Amino acid sequence: MKILIALLLIMMISSCATVKEYQKMNINDPDMALSVQKIEKYETTFQTYREAAAGANGGKTGGGCGCN
Amino acid sequence: MKFKIIFVFALFWTVFLTAQETNAYQKKVLESTEVDVLMSYYAQDGIHSSVAGGDGTEELTDFTSSIVISLPVKNNNVLTVDIGISAYTSASSSNINPFDRSGASKDEDDDDDDEEEDDKLSMDKGVDEGGANPWYASSGASMSDVLVHGSANYAHSSEDRNTIVSGNIGFSTEYDYFSIGVGGAYTKLLNNKNTELSFKAQIYFDKWRSIYPTELDSYFEDGLDDGFFEDVDIIGDPNYPGVEYNPSNFSLNTDEHRNSYALSASFSQILTKSIQASVFFDVIMQEGLLSTPYHRVYFADKPDFYIEQFQLADDNEKLPTNRFKLPIGTRFNFYLNERFVLRTYYRYYYDDWGVTAHTASVELPIKIGQKFTITPMYRYYNQTEADYFAPKEVHLSTQKYYTSDYDLSAFDANQYGVGLKYTDIFTKAKIWKFGLKNIELRYNHYNRSNDLTADIVTFGIKFVD
Repeated sequence: MKILIALLLIMMISSCATVKEYQKMNINDPDMALSVQKIEKYETTFQTYREAAAGANGGKTGGGCGCN
Repeated sequence: MKFKIIFVFALFWTVFLTAQETNAYQKKVLESTEVDVLMSYYAQDGIHSSVAGGDGTEELTDFTSSIVISLPVKNNNVLTVDIGISAYTSASSSNINPFDRSGASKDEDDDDDDEEEDDKLSMDKGVDEGGANPWYASSGASMSDVLVHGSANYAHSSEDRNTIVSGNIGFSTEYDYFSIGVGGAYTKLLNNKNTELSFKAQIYFDKWRSIYPTELDSYFEDGLDDGFFEDVDIIGDPNYPGVEYNPSNFSLNTDEHRNSYALSASFSQILTKSIQASVFFDVIMQEGLLSTPYHRVYFADKPDFYIEQFQLADDNEKLPTNRFKLPIGTRFNFYLNERFVLRTYYRYYYDDWGVTAHTASVELPIKIGQKFTITPMYRYYNQTEADYFAPKEVHLSTQKYYTSDYDLSAFDANQYGVGLKYTDIFTKAKIWKFGLKNIELRYNHYNRSNDLTADIVTFGIKFVD
């Protein structure tokens, strides 16, 4: 948890440095997306069923029994 | 004065016409219709079936397919519709009624009346002809099921593209479960789109249609003298001579709803020209029937009874009616060079059932030429045991809550796999009027430290109009 808070602080501090639109070629690469990719959807679903932990991954946070 | 009026008037028209012009040439949020077709095949096997109280086959296969259509609506809005179907066969679930092949339930007219179909299924799954046994599939109706799901999401972006507001509605349904969900999200981009703040609320209203282990349900309805047990030989426990089977803890569920409430927040930041990161957390509350009605439990302080080789349940799983979950996660993605991207993820999870978990994953997309990407990936997961979990024959009947579902036990899991993606940004290949944008295939192997293994293959194809 402390590590996460430290990371958050680092991100907030570094947010002062702005990357301009024309400099975002690398950032805009589809593999750089911070969201869960559509193709990962079913992997996330089975992990949610087979593990007690869920959430904080941009995926589904509830609904369904997950009982099989 | 007249000059000022003319100036203001001219300025107004200049701004107005500029705005009109901006609108005319403003790029759409989504330039064209996108269609994603996704398919997956999942197979697992294990030795800790929760339907058989923690001891029995967990063999399961699932085939899922869905289609996701994203439609631009005017310049600023996107409507996304996702519909899909999932079909599974489960040796474990089939043993909700394990007595089909034994003839013990031959006179039942509930969920296993189609003998011809049952015989076909039993041959397909290699059912043990010797009778009820937790290590083999039965042939009852619960051996397979179909889940249908659908959802729609409508997102509106502001003219400056710095604010996105969205709402969604969805449902899923299967034989014994129905779920409906609604939600909304608000996203704000700041600092020249270097920073993104997002807040989301989601509610699911779910409803069980409870099915119970056959012996519990039958005992509750007819006792030992009638119905299912009338002509069945129960093998008693030699340590308890003269004692009859009596699952006295069992009762039917009077409340079958399950609601989930989730609040999510995320903060994303572009750190450099080649690094971006995000931190996100969810606060999830669940209430209602959180146990699964057909999960068996065997108590240490109760005699053991069998029909053939299948031990009769002492009760079904009992879990609290509330659960609070708090996951917090972070992603760091690095564009290393034109060939390599590094994607990393970590999550810490806590809930008030006593489970804490750590998840870490890493993916390394490697670009091969202009069109191909190969992605090796690895994921590690670790969780502690829930307060209410114990293996078979360890719980006491005097406890308030109990489960032998190994998904709530302590374990580590390793998942490793590879993905292959073909991308054609010019969409030269056409099917009808849609151009093929990318094809992706992923395979992952999952290995849990408590003897469950799984494999999943996922295939995705994206078309654009």
